[in-house]
Amino acid sequence: MAENLNIEVTPISRVEGHGDLVINMKNRKIETLILRIPESPRFFEAMLVGRNWTEPSHITSRICGICSVAHTYASIKATETAMGVKPNNQLIKLRKLIFHHECVQSNVLHVYFLAAPDFLGVGSVFPLIETNPEVVNIALRLKKMANDMVRIIGGRAVHPITTVVGGFTKLPTEDEMYQMRDMLKSAYPDLEKSLKILKTLKMPSFERETEYLSITDKNDYALYDGDIKSSDGWIINDQDYLTKIKEKVVQHSTGKHCWASRDSFMVGALARVNNNFDKLSDNAKNYAEELGLKVPCYNTFMNNFAQFVEVIHSVDDSIKLIESILDDGLDKDKAMVDVKVKAGRGVGVVEAPRGLLIHDYAYDETGKVLKANLIIPTNMNYANIEKDMQAYLPQIISKSEDEIRFDMEMLIRAYDPCISCSTHMLNVKLINNK
Amino acid sequence: MIMPKNTNIISTKDNVAKANYKIIGFGNIYMGDDGVGIRVIEEIRKRNLFNDYDNVILIEGGTSGIDLIFMINDSDKVIIIDAIDAGQDIGEIVRFNINDIEHYTKDNFKSFSLHDVNLLDVFNLIKKLQLKSDITVIGVKPKVIDYGDKLSPEIEDKINNIISLIQNEVNN
Repeated sequence: MAENLNIEVTPISRVEGHGDLVINMKNRKIETLILRIPESPRFFEAMLVGRNWTEPSHITSRICGICSVAHTYASIKATETAMGVKPNNQLIKLRKLIFHHECVQSNVLHVYFLAAPDFLGVGSVFPLIETNPEVVNIALRLKKMANDMVRIIGGRAVHPITTVVGGFTKLPTEDEMYQMRDMLKSAYPDLEKSLKILKTLKMPSFERETEYLSITDKNDYALYDGDIKSSDGWIINDQDYLTKIKEKVVQHSTGKHCWASRDSFMVGALARVNNNFDKLSDNAKNYAEELGLKVPCYNTFMNNFAQFVEVIHSVDDSIKLIESILDDGLDKDKAMVDVKVKAGRGVGVVEAPRGLLIHDYAYDETGKVLKANLIIPTNMNYANIEKDMQAYLPQIISKSEDEIRFDMEMLIRAYDPCISCSTHMLNVKLINNK
Repeated sequence: MIMPKNTNIISTKDNVAKANYKIIGFGNIYMGDDGVGIRVIEEIRKRNLFNDYDNVILIEGGTSGIDLIFMINDSDKVIIIDAIDAGQDIGEIVRFNINDIEHYTKDNFKSFSLHDVNLLDVFNLIKKLQLKSDITVIGVKPKVIDYGDKLSPEIEDKINNIISLIQNEVNN
């Protein structure tokens, strides 16, 4: 049993200082417990100022390789709102479609490659190739399907290029729409097999009730658009986010901490499922039941299952969206709507795979950005992650230091945090390096 | 030997298939020297260096990690450009095949908090999955990896050298 702990975890495979976990405990009393995050969207906020209205979506799509569609659309929606642009139904359906598949890309990556190795006790994805090859193959097939969907609609599998303010520079063809529908339908056997595998995983029995924030919509399981909903009982228009969501810079991190009704809140798949369970497809609801995911759910580790349930919903809903677009008749003349540049302020709120994402821009009359504020989901979750760790540590204190370290990392990983996505530098050791 | 499409030389080996190359730049152009891979691809495009080659595809890989597995499909040879620390000096270029990378052991592997799979892990995955691949990595040790949309002068200076290495690789 640990009386004193001094844990510091720095991801060795990334640039030093990105995403450190620090725990100091003396005589079983927590003295320090922090997640130190140097990442900040403030560089991008400053970079946007003075840019032409056509640029922010392309710049901000590069903030993150995994959330590039979400940043693209938070940005596009902010600009369209500021300039009074109203996308037509076909555009909205196509946007929802591409949104689903960034969510599938990201959720599949997290559930299969990052979280599953923890629960299967193999440390990383590599041993899975020998111990559970089916998991790796399923994951790669599903990831490829989602990549192809994003590529067909967005022009590229990451950092989409056809997605612009006012619509799409190029629409998928009717043949491609049918091709996407077939790809989606062929995913079901892999999803069924995944369910059987995931059902064998044991989630730690940790619960801490908190406030859950997501967007919500009266018809849809909201990812692309909606009002902001709190599990504490309020719903506000997305343009009014500042009336509820507050942020501050904390000393130990350049990432901002956020709060709303309480001192912390959670965003992400679990928050979405908690707030919008009734809008999931029936199939997804059945999967949730099979996995023991009942709402409201206060176990952060269940975020992993919530992500998988969202994959099911995304596949189901995408087929419906494609059929609806085809039924209406894919109309190339409706690929764009007019944009009349004017001064104004607009807020774009979407669900990135890991939670609520907010872009808030003010434009002058020539269409240049005067001011930008971005709030990213991982910043929203920081305070909640620390509160979870403070609550979880006493429950696992009888374990060894190594086990505590591992359990804490698992808890942080359950949030699927976007900590070190911005860089890609490699540190390598070469054989016979001279 | 790879011949440009518009060459006047008539090959006597027309029946020999040319190797298909994918040249992939990784990194984030808004994280200082981390963006060197993308900058190299941009520069190759700007100079139209491989425009006449029907066997060369240029890809901005961004920070997409695991997607490399799909990018290497349908290619005989892959050249990756990235910011790399292999123990060399800042600005120094290294070139190696992925088979030359020391294999990870569980002890020195740590996957804390990453939401994408590290590129090095992907190399190992490619090897483990025994995907048919001949992957060469060309990297330069960065000086600054922090928010910023410019390369350090020391790294910017190396772009021509990196491009020469790529041209040698493709043309020989």
